[in-house]
Amino acid sequence: MNFIKRLLLDCNPSRNITSSYTNTQIDHVRTQRSQYAQIAEDYRRRRAADPGEGPSTAAAPTQDQDEALAAAAQAEEDEKKTKKRKRKEEDAIDEIKKAKKAKGGKAAEKKEKAIAKKKAKKTNPDLDDSDDEDYDIDYKKAKPAPGQFEHCESCNKRFTVTPYSKEGPDGGLVCTPCGKEMTKDLKKEQKALQPKAAAGKRRRKVESEKLDGVSTGGAKSLVQLCLQRVAQHHDDVEELGDLPPKLLERLSEIFSKKRVMKPKTLPLFLRPDLDSVVVHDAAYLEEEDYLQMFSVVPNMKKLVLSNTCQLKDKSMDYMLERCHELRHIALYAANLVSEEMWHRLFQEAGAKLEVIKLKWLDAAFEDEAVHDMVQCCPNLERLKLKLCRRIGQDSIDSIAELPALKHLTLHIGREVSNDALINLIEKRGSLLETLSLEKFLDADDAVVEAIHDNCNRLSKLRLSENDTITDAGFTALFTNWPNPPLTFADFNSTRDVDNNNPTGPEEAVGLASSGFAALMAHSGPSLKHLDIASCRFIELSAFCDVFNGAQSYPALEYINISFCNKVDTSVVAGIFKSCPKLKSLVAFGCFDVDNVVVPRSIALVGVPRAQDAIEQFGIGVDVDEAVGRMVEVGA
Amino acid sequence: MAATSDYVTLVSSDDYHFVVQRSSACISPAVKRMLDPMNGFLEAKTNTVRFDTINAMVLEKVCEYFYYSEKNESARDVADLDFPTELCLELLMAADYLDI
Repeated sequence: MNFIKRLLLDCNPSRNITSSYTNTQIDHVRTQRSQYAQIAEDYRRRRAADPGEGPSTAAAPTQDQDEALAAAAQAEEDEKKTKKRKRKEEDAIDEIKKAKKAKGGKAAEKKEKAIAKKKAKKTNPDLDDSDDEDYDIDYKKAKPAPGQFEHCESCNKRFTVTPYSKEGPDGGLVCTPCGKEMTKDLKKEQKALQPKAAAGKRRRKVESEKLDGVSTGGAKSLVQLCLQRVAQHHDDVEELGDLPPKLLERLSEIFSKKRVMKPKTLPLFLRPDLDSVVVHDAAYLEEEDYLQMFSVVPNMKKLVLSNTCQLKDKSMDYMLERCHELRHIALYAANLVSEEMWHRLFQEAGAKLEVIKLKWLDAAFEDEAVHDMVQCCPNLERLKLKLCRRIGQDSIDSIAELPALKHLTLHIGREVSNDALINLIEKRGSLLETLSLEKFLDADDAVVEAIHDNCNRLSKLRLSENDTITDAGFTALFTNWPNPPLTFADFNSTRDVDNNNPTGPEEAVGLASSGFAALMAHSGPSLKHLDIASCRFIELSAFCDVFNGAQSYPALEYINISFCNKVDTSVVAGIFKSCPKLKSLVAFGCFDVDNVVVPRSIALVGVPRAQDAIEQFGIGVDVDEAVGRMVEVGA
Repeated sequence: MAATSDYVTLVSSDDYHFVVQRSSACISPAVKRMLDPMNGFLEAKTNTVRFDTINAMVLEKVCEYFYYSEKNESARDVADLDFPTELCLELLMAADYLDI
């Protein structure tokens, strides 16, 4: 008799069996069937896991359903007694099976698939089964609804089905921990298979390495490879041995960049015989670390601490006590140092100090401190004061009295009158080799004139972020200037900023065409670094005149023409031709530049091209060929 | 020797001899200068350079680096040379000495 008929009879013995079954009846039958299947499966499972304890009758599929029920009930009882032990055994066996499966690999999997297929072929979920097949049917279970119990496919544990239960490889459900493991494995596989289409990430790494000075063409240097490896395993390094100071500094730079300069790794860089301590990221270092620093390296001459947010008075006090040889101090963001301590620093250590660099001081450090500094540090040659919020014009007046000053960098937020600047330049100009005045927005032509009149030893000049100095002023600066040619010229962001007048005033403000031409005419022969970013009023004709291929700038290595939007490809070609030693050309925001063929060993940064990397570097074309190709394309 | 041979020998501190191509070894400016016949060093005459501070394991990696570097001179996006991390610091010192 048909199984369904039999079932129906079982359920409703009095009912007359008709050939048209309603849906509810069929569903009812199906759920019953699935329950039976469930129980049969339970039984089979337990038998498979532990053949010794279950009833030792013939294999499950051949048994009658009723017998299966009884047997299952019996098995369940047995199970309860030795549940824990069994479960442990089951787990162990499963693990071995898994390991075997992994070992067996493809062959074993194929075998299993074949067996599964045979089984599937045998089953016939259609309603018209032949009688013989009754005992052999592998019932396809309906997926249990959430809330019901189910056995995990991989570990055989019983768990409650939830809407989030994952499906196992054979179609059944797996419990939560196995599900998590499965997704983890899947993810690993996907990652392994994923082609290196993480192009964006790699490009970023390439760009970052380029900015670190690591060449991107060809193989990296062995020193670089080793440094990277050490930085990668910073946790395991116990001692750096006898590394020469230069390598030690490079390593500390890399550690700082990766933000692993911590109390644990700091001692690697402290040796009694060193005479400099350079930590570019001291954010994680605390008071004890500073004390350690000063006690291990008492003879330090050079101290560079950036991001020293935790440097406090106590540490400074100890430093003044221990370190009597300080010549070079650079403290960036040392905001917990009090005003009195600054005074003490200059008073006690000032006599020997030659270099002072202070940035990002917001809370303390007033004009009086600068005054003290000038009084106490007669040997000061290099001074850098940037972004110290509390100093203003009085500091400028004090600095003007420093007798030995050769290198001066200033970036002062408060208002400074032009007269003060002119006074400073007049007094110190003749000795100055470096002058950097950033963001003095109101500095005017008179200041530039003062530079022209008083400075004749300058090699590095920076006048950036200013919108008052006119082009005529710049031209006057570079015309008939007794100063020898500059090596470093930075005039970025000197331009008129007025939204109502985008093309700029009639008389050009900031470095424009004639100023630029005069600059290159004056300093061309020895200029190494040129930065004219955002000087957007320099005309294309001026660029073409300066970089015309015929004129050669033998020392120029770095050019920044970002946001000079009049630049186009011919200018870039001219630059390649005119600058034989060029290493890096930065051209962000120059939208007329495209189809650039970059010669060997030059890095072009910032030229827009949707498909290409932000940075293009030469693949082995030399300059003439590159320029030739560009001219072809342009023409 | 009048003619410069194609191969040179690098000897480690523990007396291991590594025979490498001259062109590869001269990737290191230090070695190049040592082997330059113009400078008249003993190394140039015998085509052998002895390194008393570099042991065999490190020197082997260095030689491997010579070839790796020469092979990938004009290539782009080259894979990094692999080496055991334990060797790292000694290799760093050797690399710094040889300026490679």
